Amino acid sequence: MFETARFESRQRLTGSTVVALGLSAFAAMMVLIAPGLLDEFDVEALTETFPPALVEAMQLDVIGTIEGFIALELYWFGWLLLLAIYVAYSAASAIAGDVDDGTMDTLLAAPVSRWQVLGEKFLSLLTPILVVNVVVLVVVYAGTQFVDEPIAAADLVAVHALSIPYLLLWGAFGMLASVLAPRRVVAEGVAAGAVVATFLVETVADGTDLDWLGVVSPTRYYDPVTILTASEYDYTGAATLLVAAAVLLLASAVLFARRDVR
Amino acid sequence: MNVIETTGLTKYYGEVRGVEDLSLSVGKGEVFGFLGPNGAGKTTTIRTLMGFQSPTEGTATVLGADITDAAALRDARGRIGYLPSEPGFDENVTGRRLLEYHGSLRGDVRSEELLELFDPPLDRKVGQYSRGNKQMLAIVMAFMHDPDLVVMDEPTSGLDPLKQDQFLEFIRAEQERGKTFFFSSHILSEVRKVCDRIGIIRNGHLVELENVESLLDRTGKVVRANVGGAVTAEEFAIEGAHDVTVSGESAEGAAPVTTESDGGGEDSTTVSFTYTGPYQPLLRHLLNYDLLELAIEEAPLEDIFMRFYGDHDAEAVVERVENGRTDGHDGHEETDSRNAEAADV
Repeated sequence: MFETARFESRQRLTGSTVVALGLSAFAAMMVLIAPGLLDEFDVEALTETFPPALVEAMQLDVIGTIEGFIALELYWFGWLLLLAIYVAYSAASAIAGDVDDGTMDTLLAAPVSRWQVLGEKFLSLLTPILVVNVVVLVVVYAGTQFVDEPIAAADLVAVHALSIPYLLLWGAFGMLASVLAPRRVVAEGVAAGAVVATFLVETVADGTDLDWLGVVSPTRYYDPVTILTASEYDYTGAATLLVAAAVLLLASAVLFARRDVR
Repeated sequence: MNVIETTGLTKYYGEVRGVEDLSLSVGKGEVFGFLGPNGAGKTTTIRTLMGFQSPTEGTATVLGADITDAAALRDARGRIGYLPSEPGFDENVTGRRLLEYHGSLRGDVRSEELLELFDPPLDRKVGQYSRGNKQMLAIVMAFMHDPDLVVMDEPTSGLDPLKQDQFLEFIRAEQERGKTFFFSSHILSEVRKVCDRIGIIRNGHLVELENVESLLDRTGKVVRANVGGAVTAEEFAIEGAHDVTVSGESAEGAAPVTTESDGGGEDSTTVSFTYTGPYQPLLRHLLNYDLLELAIEEAPLEDIFMRFYGDHDAEAVVERVENGRTDGHDGHEETDSRNAEAADV
């Protein structure tokens, strides 16, 4: 049990480290330039130059504080979009990629069930999710202390911890794409494309007549800006994401168990 | 109980037939040769038996497990080794790491011993492996858990001739230890070395099941002789000779062509035919001539099919026989690449 999860996790370690270092460097830069920028920032003037709808969509009204600035510059883009794409993309190649290059045959020739293979490959996605979250959490905490603009530690931990259900959901979606798509590139494209599409839908539809569209967007259930600026943690949203992830994963497992591996 | 038993096994990929109505059984301790040209349905059959895909119709059991019962087949795979022709591996890990991983999945009781026979560079990354090294790694993986049944899909492709012989010898030794083999191939000569019984599959159907010796008797040899002086095809209408051609002309063709040989300026003629019979009468007959060159080879699989099941169109026969002669093994390879895609489905 868990041999595949262990093997795959180790395989993902290098990529996870690279992503963690990249996002850390970006985070460090944002933290370092934040105090200088915030001094010069006139939020009132800024929000007046843009149309109100855009201000609301981009949540520009909160950018004047270190919490709001980091939430928007780092977590909003970095987590809701970039890290989600990475996880969905990795998941998408997990099954479809192995089927494409024949690795799946070698694996399925062993006395393992398809459920086990899929489940353990999904578990291995915890490697990038945990490595990146822990490393960047430390960097942001230390950085904000260093520039003397501390962010409440509880809020920082929450913004990272509550991102895990969000990222797991994209992992499960990537798995579903991986099982359904005829080829690896199709699965990867669908998974990454879906992240971008739902991110845009939620950003654009928020507060408009199309608001209901955002209900199906995972970004609605994890809001780093509210966590950091208002210390409001959406546990219901996190639970919703976990349930959705479980449903998608279950569907992937059922489909994978039935499909032909060619 | 038979180790492998299929009843009317059929697999279609949409409209495309993979294999149809295949019924065969392989007994314990038997080496069963599953022979056929590429694209005939060998790989389809093997992938269905391994549970990689489900059959469209029919049933099969492997080590007593119904192939449509995922849980039963999973348990059975613990006693099955699988050796494909082009194994797929994670390429950015070392062979050692991969053996550790797959050993942990299926158990490892004899990889050390196997690595003395088949020795891929374990500390190098698999991505840097040659095809032969990958195949050796796959062999170790297929046998490391000491399975009762080994399913092999063209297992010697990619191995150099020396390793091929070593591998075939290894199979014989394993058979003596009581292992059962399902051995797919398109090369008769390697199958005849180790297989007790063979089935031939063509266009998705099983067309012949008999023991190797009787097949070889019926298949015959390809004889090509270069003799001094002019010869007619009629002179070689001896018992057991078929499709006699003289200097590239068919038996029914015009007068035989004689050519100047490079040596002493003497005239010589090339005669070729398929021969099914004992050697002595053939050699005695040949010794009546000034024998300059003689080659006796095994008939290519394509010719065997042609002789048994198919086209008796004289021209096609001649063309096929000629190609078989002049290109020798290369003719095989061409057929392979043409059919390679079909074989992958």
